[in-house]
Amino acid sequence: MKRKVVMITVATTFFTLPLAAAPFAYISNQLDDSISIIDTKKNKVVDTITVSGKPAGVAVAPAGDRVYISTPEAKGFAVLDVKKREIIAKVPVSDGALGIAAGIDGKRIYVADWYNDKVDVIDADNLRIIKSIPVGNSPSGLVVSPDNRWLYVANRLSDSVSKISLNKLAINKTTLVGSHPFGLTIDARGERIYVANVQSDDVTVVETSRMLPIATVKVNMLPYAAALALNDSRLFVTNQDDGSVSVIDTATLKEIGLIEVGNKPEGISTHPDDRHVYVANWFDSTVSVIDAKTLQVIDTIKTGNGSRAFGQFFGK
Amino acid sequence: MKKITLIASVLLFFFTAVASAHGPVRQKAEEQITINAPAEKVWALIKNFGDMSWHPDIFNTTADGGNKKGATRVLTLKDGGTIKEEMKKYDEAKMSYAYKIIEMSTAKTITHAGVEEKVPVLPVDNYSATIEVEAKGDTSVVNWTAGYYRAYTNNNPPVEMNEETANAAVAAILKTGLINLKTLAEK
Repeated sequence: MKRKVVMITVATTFFTLPLAAAPFAYISNQLDDSISIIDTKKNKVVDTITVSGKPAGVAVAPAGDRVYISTPEAKGFAVLDVKKREIIAKVPVSDGALGIAAGIDGKRIYVADWYNDKVDVIDADNLRIIKSIPVGNSPSGLVVSPDNRWLYVANRLSDSVSKISLNKLAINKTTLVGSHPFGLTIDARGERIYVANVQSDDVTVVETSRMLPIATVKVNMLPYAAALALNDSRLFVTNQDDGSVSVIDTATLKEIGLIEVGNKPEGISTHPDDRHVYVANWFDSTVSVIDAKTLQVIDTIKTGNGSRAFGQFFGK
Repeated sequence: MKKITLIASVLLFFFTAVASAHGPVRQKAEEQITINAPAEKVWALIKNFGDMSWHPDIFNTTADGGNKKGATRVLTLKDGGTIKEEMKKYDEAKMSYAYKIIEMSTAKTITHAGVEEKVPVLPVDNYSATIEVEAKGDTSVVNWTAGYYRAYTNNNPPVEMNEETANAAVAAILKTGLINLKTLAEK
């Protein structure tokens, strides 16, 4: 009898595994018009979904049930249903839809319009535009504060970052950073944002309450985006033109390592285990997996052509 | 049904292609050639950044800074146009280097949407490339890759500055160079 119970348990575990699998990473392959779904337990692509319109930006809904993928050439974004693994909606927004982020409460989606210098606020339930907020020139990266009160946007051609009140849906403050800021990330307490400046080859650290730049950290050629790991103690920055990731100690704000990854690394996100950092290599069409503790690349996963994955691409 | 979807996609592509964004869609070129000569011999032909005489389209090269990061070279093309490039990464052990175009002369001036546009000698923008020699026993494989945008940075490009023109021009340069490199190395 006892033996039978154990067997049933084992069988149940086995069959439920695919549903309760490790978190998935959703990688946009811009030149392939597709999304690679990586099962991070196996570090293998388990599915590829067609998404037309040159998919670039990625944002996973907080509940993990949907993935929003910006499609610049289709002038909007696509909605991927995670369970069905199907595109269930295509939402027209505007000409230069690129940067994308989801609200922490799951109720809103934010899309930066590269051409028209605005951020569109979309209702996540009915997928309608609630409001367009004018920002600086060529807005790109977006990040929402953990308390869901603020949205930060990097204005690439204005060399600035704006802090938008999500209550008022208006800019609260704008501060100058380095030259051509693109990707940005925020710490778990919402106290600091880290902005990768493509043209000045550095990262600006901004203290969010006063929107005050407190440090500039030199990295390598053409930094693109950034992600934090290990309890926010280390910052990882993709250097596009160097094929590397710079590692910055967030206490000393000094570069403590340079990790060679693939050619033209762009999108970067940290696994929910807070230890593994995934990097999409645009030219190589691969994803490098970095162990944030040892600073070694522990895996390289073949994806689709032109992997970009700009945004928070980890699901549940 | 499938056919209708296809037609719809083609139409959609047509209408969105004319309004595609410079920021979002970078182009890619990859060319490879197998050469019946040892890697060292092939590498010796291309290893000096300041000497691009191995490429038949290049008439002359002047350079500054050797093979160090930050070194520059000015390539004069057979038709007189110039391209200035900067070394970004040099790896002797891997027989590889990466560089970027930082300046180009104008091939011609066109009028598009009522505005004068200068078409650069290589109709691209923000171009970076990597060339690498890989040893395969007594033979070698050379990979030459480039990432770039079309020359027109706004919406609705003229044909002289669109993606197709950029892709064709880059592919031609890479192919011509590699074929000649093979000829030189196999001599």
